Amino acid sequence: MEKLLKDKKAIFLFTFPTFLLFTVIVVLPIFFSIHYSTLQWDGFSKSVFVGLSNYRSLFVDNTDGFVQSVVNSLVLALISVGIQLPISLLLALILARGVRGERFFRTVYFIPVIISTVVIGQLWMKIYNADYGMLNIVLRALGLGKYANAWLADTRTALASVFIAMLWQYIGYHMLLMYAGAKSISPDIYEAARIDGASETQMAFRITIPLMKPILCVCVIFAVTGSFKAFDLIYVMTGGGPLHATEVPTTLMYTTIFSRYQYGYGSAMAIFIIAECLVCTVVIQKLFNRNAED
Amino acid sequence: MLKIKRLFAGILGLSVLLASFTACNGQPSGSSAGSQGGAASSAAGAEKVTLAFWNNYTNDTQHIMADTIKKWNTDHPNIQIDSSATENNAYKVKIKTAISANNAPDIIYTWAGGFTQPFVEAGQILALDSYLNDGTKDKMLSGALTNITYDGKVYGLTYNQQAGALYVNDDLFKQNSVKVPTTYDELLTAVKAFKAKGLVPMAVGEKDEWPGMWYYDMIALREGGAQLCLDALNKKASFNQAAFINAAKKLEDLVDAGAFAKDVLGQTRDESVAQFSQGKIPMYFGGNFDAQVIDQSLKGKVSAVKFPTISGGKGTDAEYLGGGADALCVSANTKHKDEAVQAIKYLAENFSSGMYLTGAGLPEWKYDSIDQSKVDPLSKQIMDDIVQGSTGSVPAWDLYLTGNDAQTHQDLVQNLFGKQIVPDEFGKQMQQKINKTA
Repeated sequence: MEKLLKDKKAIFLFTFPTFLLFTVIVVLPIFFSIHYSTLQWDGFSKSVFVGLSNYRSLFVDNTDGFVQSVVNSLVLALISVGIQLPISLLLALILARGVRGERFFRTVYFIPVIISTVVIGQLWMKIYNADYGMLNIVLRALGLGKYANAWLADTRTALASVFIAMLWQYIGYHMLLMYAGAKSISPDIYEAARIDGASETQMAFRITIPLMKPILCVCVIFAVTGSFKAFDLIYVMTGGGPLHATEVPTTLMYTTIFSRYQYGYGSAMAIFIIAECLVCTVVIQKLFNRNAED
Repeated sequence: MLKIKRLFAGILGLSVLLASFTACNGQPSGSSAGSQGGAASSAAGAEKVTLAFWNNYTNDTQHIMADTIKKWNTDHPNIQIDSSATENNAYKVKIKTAISANNAPDIIYTWAGGFTQPFVEAGQILALDSYLNDGTKDKMLSGALTNITYDGKVYGLTYNQQAGALYVNDDLFKQNSVKVPTTYDELLTAVKAFKAKGLVPMAVGEKDEWPGMWYYDMIALREGGAQLCLDALNKKASFNQAAFINAAKKLEDLVDAGAFAKDVLGQTRDESVAQFSQGKIPMYFGGNFDAQVIDQSLKGKVSAVKFPTISGGKGTDAEYLGGGADALCVSANTKHKDEAVQAIKYLAENFSSGMYLTGAGLPEWKYDSIDQSKVDPLSKQIMDDIVQGSTGSVPAWDLYLTGNDAQTHQDLVQNLFGKQIVPDEFGKQMQQKINKTA
């Protein structure tokens, strides 16, 4: 096997297909999109080169609320990191300490990740339904009927309602990553700590979390980039509505390209999302690395 | 040993490479497999032609399409139609992508009006004029080809038209002793009466945006009349004038009177029609395409009537929202023009009568030969009372305006439902954004 790995030809043969696929399916389309984003193009007729004016329209004299959609996705990223990840971390730490029914809870928390997003969307739409939704029924049963609302149809509550469903969906995903990270820490360290008289909390903060840093970095990156490119659940639950209240860059991009036929402008949005994700990934990694060096 | 490993590596690498190549090639060749297969065989001596036909016939009610295609294929062993159905919204994306990539099937299902216009302008659709003088035009109803005619040329054959109708639940009207409205004032009275009884008076699925647009477009038709609406849609008249602003006002009055459910912005068309079909809601302005579902659950309890007239409005009750909608086109790049045109003539004519018979649509071809007693009663009501003898029609505006403009219009109407825009501003923005003048 070692010899095989030293064989340049074998390495080439093994990696080339993936490299080719990756180039054709991921890298090339990005460059195509960059090209499209400089065009004024409806997808069928002749395109007109317009330089960077599509990017300009994203922010200057913008009429379709792109800036608001970016703000929405930033809010989502913020609460993903600020609310979702701490919950995941807490669950992961508890489970990794070997509570009763560890496997059972692990499976339960992970179920939302396995279920199709469309199903989850339908589920939450039923919960939020104004007529027969569980949320309103519970509120009325508690005598809080005046707070019952058409959650997804009200511009004031729609965004929060969708975000809650999204946070819920991926808690289990991050929990499993962190759980695996926590589990891989050698039990000897805990044993030594316990002999030194460390409490559970001290061990969590002084041993587990610092040693989990690499996996935490991955989770933060996933949570942030995942928020920037979130699409499916929002599309299923509200489609960006009502009155664009739940619009994020991806849903706006979808309508721009497929309903408004503005391929160039939509591609500019796509490139913006890619750039946003890349920059954030680099920044987050830098931040974690600097902390690691301290 | 090393050699064997190398050999293994080589074979593995090659097979992955091959697999990836075929995977890349799979998509485009698969999608146009029909036409390519046809090309090869016709070159070999016009033995057997296969026509690729893409459509959105995934619905249960569209079994008539499958039956018709099957019959054609049995009767024409040398011209086979290879039908490939995709769900409605996905189909819109798919056909746009395919046409822009020069990858269109031989026969294209499309919507007449604005949806097809960019395809025609890009030169991707075959003009049919020279094929239609064999009596085909005489078999069709007058006006059937209007919406599929661009720059004076016919680009497709319609087989189903849309018509908007006000569905009223007669039972609910009787139980609550409310008069079925024929004027807008009576409509408001009815709305208030039902509201007082704790019922949601009218159904609309505004999450999907277009159902609410149907309401607005209908009211605008009554306010301004067909000619003015068409002029404005053709950019010959301004949207920023009394008729369209008044129409926005009238819609807003309905919203204010509580005509619609409070979660109207979160309801899909399907949900709202379901509520109407369950007998919970007394009125629904929708398309004839809803007739079948409604008739199934509320047999004999529902009537389809004309939308109320507006006093002072220029439109009469002889005008309706609708017109030619579903159409079949032939790709300009097909290798089998004659066969494809022959096929769409057959398909369009049979779809037309078949859909009418099953209540799935309204005919575009003459239907004297159809046994009228077998036609779905609500569809027959719409055809007899609303379409026949009409003096004019305007298609729902999203069929007329192209992509961006249609979306803008729907967004603005949604703003009316959400009370985010005043009628004056609505008219102004319609004109600024769609007709691009102040």
